[in-house]
Amino acid sequence: MSAPMETQVSPSVLATKSNRPSNLVRFSRQLFKSKTGTIGLFIVLCMVLMAVFAPVLAPHDPAKTNVAKRLLPPVWMEKGTSDYPLGTDNLGRDVLSRIIYGSQVSLLVGICAVVVAGFIGIILGLVSGYYTGWLDSVIMRTTDAFLAIPNILFMLVILAVMGPSLLTLIFVLGVTNWTTYARIVRSEVLSIKERDFVRAARAVGAKNFRIIFTHILPNVISSFIVISTLSVATTIILEASLSFLGLGIQPPTVSWGGMLSDGRQYLATSWWVATFPGIAITITVLGIIFLGDFLRDILDPRMKAKGGK
Amino acid sequence: MKRFAMASLALMLLLGVAGCGSQQSANTPQTENSTSKSTQTDSGKKVLTIASGNDIVSFDIHNHNNTSTEAVHVNMFDYLVKKDKNQQLQPDLATSWKQLDDTTWEFKLREGVKFHNGDPFTAADVKYTLERVAKDQTLLEYGNYKQIKEVQVIDDHTVHIITDGPQPVLLNRLSRLGSGMLPSKYIQEKGFDEYLKNPVGTGPYKLKEWKRDDRLILVKNDDYFGDKPKWDEVVFRSIPEDATRVSELLTGGVDLAVNIPPTDLDRIKNNEGTAVAQGPTQRVMQLTVRMTPGTKTADPKVREAIDLAIDKQAIVDNILAGGGTVTRTRVTPGNFGADPSLYGTSLYDPEKAKQLLAEAGYANGLEITLSSPSGRYLKDKETAELIQAMLGEVGIKVNLDLQEWSKFNEQYRGKKMNELFMIAYGNSMFDASLAFDRASSAIAKGETDYNNPELDKLLEEAETNLNEQEREKQYQQAQQMVANDRPFIYLFQMGANYGYNSNRIQFEPRLDEMLPVDEITLKQ
Amino acid sequence: MKKFLIRSLLQIIPVLFLISLIVFVLVHVTGDPVTLMLSDTATDEDRAILIKALGLDQPLYVQYFKFLGHLVQGDFGNSFRYQEPALPIVLERLPASFELAISSMVVATLIAIPLGILSATKRNSFLDVFVTGGAVLGKAMPSFWLGIMLILLFAVHWGVFPVSGQGTFAHLVLPAITLGTGVAAEMTRLIRSSMLEILQQDYIRTARSKGLLERIVIYKHAFQNSLVPVITIMALQTSHLIGGTLITETVFSWPGMGNLLIQAVNQRDMAIVQAAVFVVSILVILSNLLADLAYRVLDPRIKYN
Repeated sequence: MSAPMETQVSPSVLATKSNRPSNLVRFSRQLFKSKTGTIGLFIVLCMVLMAVFAPVLAPHDPAKTNVAKRLLPPVWMEKGTSDYPLGTDNLGRDVLSRIIYGSQVSLLVGICAVVVAGFIGIILGLVSGYYTGWLDSVIMRTTDAFLAIPNILFMLVILAVMGPSLLTLIFVLGVTNWTTYARIVRSEVLSIKERDFVRAARAVGAKNFRIIFTHILPNVISSFIVISTLSVATTIILEASLSFLGLGIQPPTVSWGGMLSDGRQYLATSWWVATFPGIAITITVLGIIFLGDFLRDILDPRMKAKGGK
Repeated sequence: MKRFAMASLALMLLLGVAGCGSQQSANTPQTENSTSKSTQTDSGKKVLTIASGNDIVSFDIHNHNNTSTEAVHVNMFDYLVKKDKNQQLQPDLATSWKQLDDTTWEFKLREGVKFHNGDPFTAADVKYTLERVAKDQTLLEYGNYKQIKEVQVIDDHTVHIITDGPQPVLLNRLSRLGSGMLPSKYIQEKGFDEYLKNPVGTGPYKLKEWKRDDRLILVKNDDYFGDKPKWDEVVFRSIPEDATRVSELLTGGVDLAVNIPPTDLDRIKNNEGTAVAQGPTQRVMQLTVRMTPGTKTADPKVREAIDLAIDKQAIVDNILAGGGTVTRTRVTPGNFGADPSLYGTSLYDPEKAKQLLAEAGYANGLEITLSSPSGRYLKDKETAELIQAMLGEVGIKVNLDLQEWSKFNEQYRGKKMNELFMIAYGNSMFDASLAFDRASSAIAKGETDYNNPELDKLLEEAETNLNEQEREKQYQQAQQMVANDRPFIYLFQMGANYGYNSNRIQFEPRLDEMLPVDEITLKQ
Repeated sequence: MKKFLIRSLLQIIPVLFLISLIVFVLVHVTGDPVTLMLSDTATDEDRAILIKALGLDQPLYVQYFKFLGHLVQGDFGNSFRYQEPALPIVLERLPASFELAISSMVVATLIAIPLGILSATKRNSFLDVFVTGGAVLGKAMPSFWLGIMLILLFAVHWGVFPVSGQGTFAHLVLPAITLGTGVAAEMTRLIRSSMLEILQQDYIRTARSKGLLERIVIYKHAFQNSLVPVITIMALQTSHLIGGTLITETVFSWPGMGNLLIQAVNQRDMAIVQAAVFVVSILVILSNLLADLAYRVLDPRIKYN
């Protein structure tokens, strides 16, 4: 059952380690050398700023309906007005404002889910990799079990029984996505714990707990950052799919997935209702993936060659 | 190279497994059918294809409680008495009937009728069918038939139906959802499970194939007792995604599509060869208001303010594209006991609503919760969002609690709703009595906690009153009471939107939303 | 080799056991099946009878072992919607889903292999950036949106393909493209990086230094060797693919397992949901095992033990 990734433990981690005390200067120099990395970071920063300053940036209240002005086209089309640059939806709400506010939910869900999943995954991965033995077997078989159920299916069932809400969504994403972290952290630990500095620590009688948290944990953080960036992107897409199935975030909370899913009825008649949130999702995912690839390149050259998970 | 060969082997294995699988499905007979578009009549076969949003629930006619399922069933099963296009009662499996006393009705049954499996239809089938649903509490239709105490077989073609008390609406009860006649001999010999797999009825069409969540195919029953069936084959396809259903209609893939979203009506109208048919339905959308002492909405002024703050006409015009009629009663025209003065009208006066709120002590606004299902009814989510905005205008802050239907249903059945919830009720009985089923204090307990002894008494009397004129008056009076007390704030009667291939068929919607396919005619 | 196979198969058993536990917890602990099954007129007494009949009054662990006992016999209970055993209903739907999944995989492979190789060999060229961007786009596009757009364009506007349903080859095209695009995007990225890795290997350098034509180097040496990870990648996409059928089948009314499952979830037909989740998991496990096997057979660097 073991994935190929685990079986190939590369020795190059050591090299990374010695390079890593690099500073911000080196990071930014590399960043500017990579075109896609720069673009990625720029997009992600924009999204974060948009989410944080949504109340300032949004021209309208995203929930304010106005049936007299429903389904107005974007400003550059006939009948469009500059009041509603990207047009209005079926209840006369400003599409632009809703996209701006929607970024809050996308980021919130993405980040919280990663934190939950990362927490579970790192702990289990550390324990599994460090102690091996039966505990390792139990954790790894559980990971296999969770991996065998496709994410969306898992989420669908949990959301159906618990009812869709922001909290359940975060919970579900956390509970389903931890497996990737657990596996990767475990394989990192397996290689790190055989290295000299860990052996040395053990020789001088350091407690397991201490070894895990002071020596091993810092060394797996880079893998974590790489995977979690990409998983924010996956989350945004998953939320849209769940909305389509009727189990996404429920209004009045605005989410891009919800807008896209509601707007699909208007694809043939008022394309802008669904297209702009779709573009927002695409640009964000693009930015996150670019940034993630870049981070992977500089933090972990080993994963670059293998394409990650 | 050896390795490469083995890799190909592994791949072939994978493909092979799937290949066998897909071949199986290619062998099933339904595929011939779907290959030809319904507009072509291959070898002169007249095929009608209808697309709806969901599949039928079951062939257990007493255990589905679902209008769109019954719309298919009416083609396979016959009632004792049926309603025609104009909702007038007509003989069907019963040729005549009369009331012998307050609780006894005599039905003469049609002779020479055969089930699809060849069994003759007799009084024993009536007894089996009606007593099954009247006695088995686990069946969803039990509540609507439990008034039948006994069915007595007088001879092969005469039955007496004994009710538990005077039943003014017995004929309505027998001509609605679940009133089809089951083959008692077949079921008793083969068992109900076998019947569910291979259902037979007496209707003009019989089952050819049911592929769940995909299509149900009926073929004509040449032995049908009535007019010869018009179609050789009828295909009911289930297409849950609205956009896909509309696209199938536009491309001629289906002849008739139900539940067209209002946004697509113009597209269908403007498309050459397709047309839209709109009709009223028996369903009324309403807000149910909690009147439990201590809740904010226990104050009649607050309830009135909520009513006055909602512009129902604007909802109908903007969200439903005109497909609906505002109303202040659930007893819409076409139902016994309708009060025309409450239909087609609504109250809207935001200024007065503000004033009432001030009088009630909420000059600075108040906060309530509105629960609504999302994705259950046409544009339910949008309607609820608009109501939230409208109530916000007069200073009522609404916490909108949108829930996916099953979750909503759980809370609804548990009677755990807050101040307001939005729901639509139908009336397959075509009688005012069903419209008050949730108004009597016994049933309202825990839900609205509406308690009006005067109304209780009135409803109780009307329920068993055999004097039609008097009964009608009683129900009209009851509607006025409810409109005044506002345990329910009625929004609008929902419309049904159909799209059809106007080059090929002629179609008129029915008030009861049934789809007897012989009322749909092929254009020459 | 045999040892490895036996060990892998033995490892599946505890995994299946854990899956059964997950499924049980999902359905029995978080939901309330009773309220949904009762009719409107039911009394508290009816409720108590039903709870007893379903065995819900017993302690959870007893319920679980009963569940497990039935499960071993392939009994997931009756679908309350269809009043029939759940497992056959689910299995009945597999062929249609397989048909769609395999076609999508073919579509994805046809797109991903050439693009992946091209962008790896022409690394950092305009083409490479274009392909990478395209792959991200394919990944970021929710499949329901793509599906509806394809219907609007190819079926309604140009009328080249039928809108929905299963039947002829033409019916298969749009859903296969919809589902295949997302998989292709993922595959392109993976193939590109595995090609990149191989192109840096010594034997490629040797081949090049021997003055072989670049075309031959790439197709004969690099590509054939990159097939190893490609096959693994394909098998590992099964889980994505099955997840993707949920949405694609709903958009195109494709009568497969995904469609069934969505309906079952909406109606809280938990017997069907349990059976479907289980069947899907077994499929994913088997395809992962196949991938693992292929990998071990093909790659000499990995020892059997």
